[in-house]
Amino acid sequence: MLPFLARRMAMAIGTVLAAVVISFLLVHATDTSPGAVRLGTNATPERIVAENEALGWNRPLPTQFFDYLGDLVRGDLGTSLIDGRSIAADLADRVPVTASIALFATLLSGVLGIVLGVAAAFRGGRVARLITTGSGVALSLPVFWVGILLVYVLALQLGWLPATGYVPFTVDPVGWFTSLLIPVIALTIGGAAIVARTANAGLRQALGQEHVRTLRAMGTPEWRIRYVHALRFASLPVVSVLGIQFIALFGGSVIIENLFALPGLGQAGQAAAASSDFPALVGVVVVATVVVVLINLLLDLVVAALDPKVRAS
Amino acid sequence: MSVLPLDAADDVTTEPGPPARRRVPDVLRRPGGLLAAGWLIFIVVASLTAPWWRPYGVAEQDLANRLALPSAEHWLGTDPLGRDLLSRIFTAGTEPLLSSAVTVLVAFGIGLPLALIAAERGPRVERVISRVTEVFLALPSTILLLAVIGVIGVRIFIIMAVLGVLISAAVYRVMLGVAQSVRTRLYVDAARVNGLGSLRVNVVHVLPSMATVIAVQAAQLYGIGLLIVAGLAFLGFGPAEPDPSWGFMIQDASSYVFNAPWLMVPTGLVLALTVIAANELADAIAGKAAGETAPVRRRRSPARTAPAEIPPADPAAVLEVRDLTIAVDDGPDLVTGVSFALRPGRVLGLVGESGCGKTMTARSLLGLLPDGVSVRGGAIHWRGQDLVGRTEKELSAVRGREIAMISQEPMVALDPMFSVAYQLTQPIRRFRGVGRGEARRIAAELLRNVGIVDAERVLKSYPHQLSGGMAQRVCIALALTGEPELLIADEPTTALDVTVQAEILTLLRALVRDTGLSVVIVSHDLGVVADICDDVAVMYAGTVVESGTAAAVLDGPRHPYTQALLAANPHVPDGVAVPARLASIPGTVPPPGSWPTGCRFASRCQFAQDQCRAPFPAEPAHGIGSVLCVRADELAGAHLSWDADPVGAAPTPATTPTAGASR
Amino acid sequence: MTALADPTHEVHPGEQAPALRVRDLVVRYGTGRRARSTPPAVDGVSFDIAPGETLGLVGESGSGKSTIGKAVLGLQRPTAGTVEVAGQDVTAMSLKQRSRQVADLRVVFQDPYSSLNPARTIGQTLVEPLRLMGVTGAEALARARSGLESVGLPAEAVDRRPAQFSGGQRQRIAIARALVCDPKVVVLDEPVSALDLSTQAQVLNLLADLRDQRGLSFLFIAHDLGVVRFLSQRTVVLYRGQVMETGPAEQVAQRPRHPYTLALTAAAPVPRPAEQAARRAAREAAGFGTAGAASPSATGCPFVPRCPFSTDVCVDQRPPLRLLDGSLTACHHAERVPQP
Repeated sequence: MLPFLARRMAMAIGTVLAAVVISFLLVHATDTSPGAVRLGTNATPERIVAENEALGWNRPLPTQFFDYLGDLVRGDLGTSLIDGRSIAADLADRVPVTASIALFATLLSGVLGIVLGVAAAFRGGRVARLITTGSGVALSLPVFWVGILLVYVLALQLGWLPATGYVPFTVDPVGWFTSLLIPVIALTIGGAAIVARTANAGLRQALGQEHVRTLRAMGTPEWRIRYVHALRFASLPVVSVLGIQFIALFGGSVIIENLFALPGLGQAGQAAAASSDFPALVGVVVVATVVVVLINLLLDLVVAALDPKVRAS
Repeated sequence: MSVLPLDAADDVTTEPGPPARRRVPDVLRRPGGLLAAGWLIFIVVASLTAPWWRPYGVAEQDLANRLALPSAEHWLGTDPLGRDLLSRIFTAGTEPLLSSAVTVLVAFGIGLPLALIAAERGPRVERVISRVTEVFLALPSTILLLAVIGVIGVRIFIIMAVLGVLISAAVYRVMLGVAQSVRTRLYVDAARVNGLGSLRVNVVHVLPSMATVIAVQAAQLYGIGLLIVAGLAFLGFGPAEPDPSWGFMIQDASSYVFNAPWLMVPTGLVLALTVIAANELADAIAGKAAGETAPVRRRRSPARTAPAEIPPADPAAVLEVRDLTIAVDDGPDLVTGVSFALRPGRVLGLVGESGCGKTMTARSLLGLLPDGVSVRGGAIHWRGQDLVGRTEKELSAVRGREIAMISQEPMVALDPMFSVAYQLTQPIRRFRGVGRGEARRIAAELLRNVGIVDAERVLKSYPHQLSGGMAQRVCIALALTGEPELLIADEPTTALDVTVQAEILTLLRALVRDTGLSVVIVSHDLGVVADICDDVAVMYAGTVVESGTAAAVLDGPRHPYTQALLAANPHVPDGVAVPARLASIPGTVPPPGSWPTGCRFASRCQFAQDQCRAPFPAEPAHGIGSVLCVRADELAGAHLSWDADPVGAAPTPATTPTAGASR
Repeated sequence: MTALADPTHEVHPGEQAPALRVRDLVVRYGTGRRARSTPPAVDGVSFDIAPGETLGLVGESGSGKSTIGKAVLGLQRPTAGTVEVAGQDVTAMSLKQRSRQVADLRVVFQDPYSSLNPARTIGQTLVEPLRLMGVTGAEALARARSGLESVGLPAEAVDRRPAQFSGGQRQRIAIARALVCDPKVVVLDEPVSALDLSTQAQVLNLLADLRDQRGLSFLFIAHDLGVVRFLSQRTVVLYRGQVMETGPAEQVAQRPRHPYTLALTAAAPVPRPAEQAARRAAREAAGFGTAGAASPSATGCPFVPRCPFSTDVCVDQRPPLRLLDGSLTACHHAERVPQP
């Protein structure tokens, strides 16, 4: 168990390093320089050179890289080329927004998906057909399109929820909750569909196992076969899909944040990409990677707790 | 843009279907698959040819008709500048449809060869590649794509190629599992022994078996690619205005959602339908029809023939099976007219080759036939009641408490997710109404009764930590939790080593002796029957051909089939030399549905004559038993018995391939 | 364990080289520390097979018998030791080199269901090795057809696919594939254990016929001593990767000198109730330990935890193979093993 954890930790650190290296090389591979970005299109070449010198852009790459790593360990991600603000401080405000959307959507997807998967697997027949077909459609829908449809129905037609915008939790907890609701629902539709499919497949597979026949031969009550043994069997794939969901939502929240004007990590990434704000870009990649890596570690622990084979190794 | 998990690899068969000469691929037999393929072809053709047929130019403004609903001039309506939506949607299709294909090609171009290499070169290489791909998998791909855009600008084909690189790690992961499982197939090893080169082994023997999974994954990935291209365009990272893109058209529509809600419908629908089509195609290839199989046991009440209660023929019998017929629903009979009786404390062997119906017969005793198979007729008298036609609920009261079962594969008969302690105490508490602590004490005692010395350690174990013999002992302990009177053992030692088999048989014999348990044991091994059985019923092609006490049947077999089975056994008596050739039976067991009338063994029997091909009844034999051979007395009188094959005889007559006649 | 040449089959000077010679074969699975701390799957195994001879390799799961087969075929790289085919050392050769230089070694596997590629016709499967040997298309097909006839199948089967054949028929096809290129040595890896009794007898008879007609050498791997005894001239009994006993097949089966061989023969049930009852009583009286009860010490005999004859010397010293009544036995107490 401990060597397993140590190995996963090493993998996690390696992944973060890889993210830094890749984004660092990417930024330095371009012919656009940060000086040019900061000074805009009208600046003279001499001024750009001077600016790059001031930013330390011309120093040897390894020096810059290790400086960056050193800063990173201290929690310093540098400053934005566009507005000069501290990137770490900016992202620190944004991570909770993205994280809460991703977390809510994952939890809701989990609950809804498991219920639907259980219904499809155990009811069979028409219910199963309906759920499988429905989930096939739901996971194919573009999330931004679904978001607009939801805004049209829930905000514009029914007026139940605010269409866009973000209210910080500290300002108004209820407003915070309602401002996240439509984005979360939009993300949950596809997420729940995937979880439902996974749960359905897992449960069906579980019911076909030889050990289920043993349980039947022992006269075990059907509810116990389904909700204790089959569900436990199907829990492993469901948990790993939920983990993948969270990671996908966290990394992929950029569209939903754009659509609903939510000040999250993705929005920062989009803005930085549009304006070639290199330090901000690297910062977003690094922070997103750290979160993904932490979630993966958590996932490993949950899987180890669920699966006796992993626990034993 | 949520990146869908690449799933479906687990439940896709990698076994290429039998004869591959099919005019219409199976995919297109499903209406969903046909529709999906049709839509994809339509959208690709329509998009690529749009410049030639579109009614308006993409930038052509009709300011009088802004935000129009569908009309004769504008079939799908117009946008805020009065541009024709139909023309723009199909013109916009080219880029996502092609660039997603780039993603798929790059992802498989990298992931698949890596997977093949890793599967071929073994653990060391595999570990290195897998570590690298794990890092790739953990990178936030969307954010990295944004970084790429920030650096190189909006060059969509390059960006989608980069996405392909990032996703190749996921492709590798799925493909590695499949490639490894294909590589365990022995025909791959056989080809390697023949000296086939690495590339040709992969191309000829490995890849074709992976085709289904590759197609499924590619179709899914294509759908993901479409969503990502559209998502990027939605964020403004797409073709610049006035060139159209699906994503930006939806972004545009979002600003007009209040006054012109129609605007978002056509583009969104076309995009959604295309992704749905890709996913449906994947499902169709994987053969997962929506709700195709219903694993839920819906037991139709069996058609009972003649419910008249006949008094048992043997008053001392606890179990009496009479004229049992088991059949596939709307299909052939699997077992016909099987009768046998079992007295308390005795062991009955059901013996025969694969496909003779012995396992079906055994499982019918507990009402545990597979879905789609049911008892068609006959009776199973158990302690005065007929078990045929009982509801699931009535049967559950019998299962475990009165009749218990152990199966062939002890390693998979226990739930891998629960400890042995849980799996034993749970039924103990249910059957005996005791508390947790008492149940655990009983569980430990049961384990010691089945010969497990360190019961406490085994209780704490999980099934994967047990050896095969140990797992079978635990299964026997589990079967004993309800203190049953009858144990059904379906090939309980077939998966075990011969020394472990001897131990398990000794254990079963001790249980019978000490507890008065009755046992029905299913086996293909006449040696096992000789070792443990008091009585035996020899089955062939779904029926009992000979029965009686084990000593009588094995020492003086009267049916030619029983004689042939004994003669084919290479275990000769001590002090006797092994024959140069064994006796064998030509041909194979006829599959259900193609049984001949009259004697089912006649076509393979050395002694068959015309009289064997007409129906005839079983005759009493061996005292309590019977023999189903019309020439039995005649053969016994003439002292004829099954001959061994002559040495150097021409190989058995050309046996015609029998479709579907596999074990 | 020992480089002792096998005196039960002595190669005299001038006599031709054995068809297959295996010397001090060691195979360890896995890599790294874990591999070094677990005992090897095959631990110093040596044997010879003369031309036309069949050698049976018997043991239970985990005995290393299939691993030896793989190492002989080149599917598993040996950690140490050598494999020679007709006097030529092939240990270090790749599979491609082997087939080019010594097309003398072929294989029949256990599972007739996975040993034939379901997507390819029987003809394609049989022609494949011939084409690699440079046989041209028409001739290769003709040889494939006659190959099928020699195993008792119609020549027309070349156009069919494996799914159309039963298990026994598939195993005949697998035998035909092994024999189309006229090998000298065939590794038979449990060729009949997936088959029913009547089919098993058909296939065993076929193998015996082919061996006699063509003078083939078989390395016959099986878990059933009775089956091995039928087809083999000599038997090697393996336990945990080590040779326990080797000698003439009749002798090993009828008068085992090693306690493990005795345990194996005593455990195999015979279909004669009275005889089986006597055997059972004898087995129970012998008092063998439970299989897999404890792991043996690394220095001593691997069978110690289950052996009713073991003493301190067995725990401390690994017994060398020694000659006793025409068999080689790796047991300190072989003389105490009861003889019938």
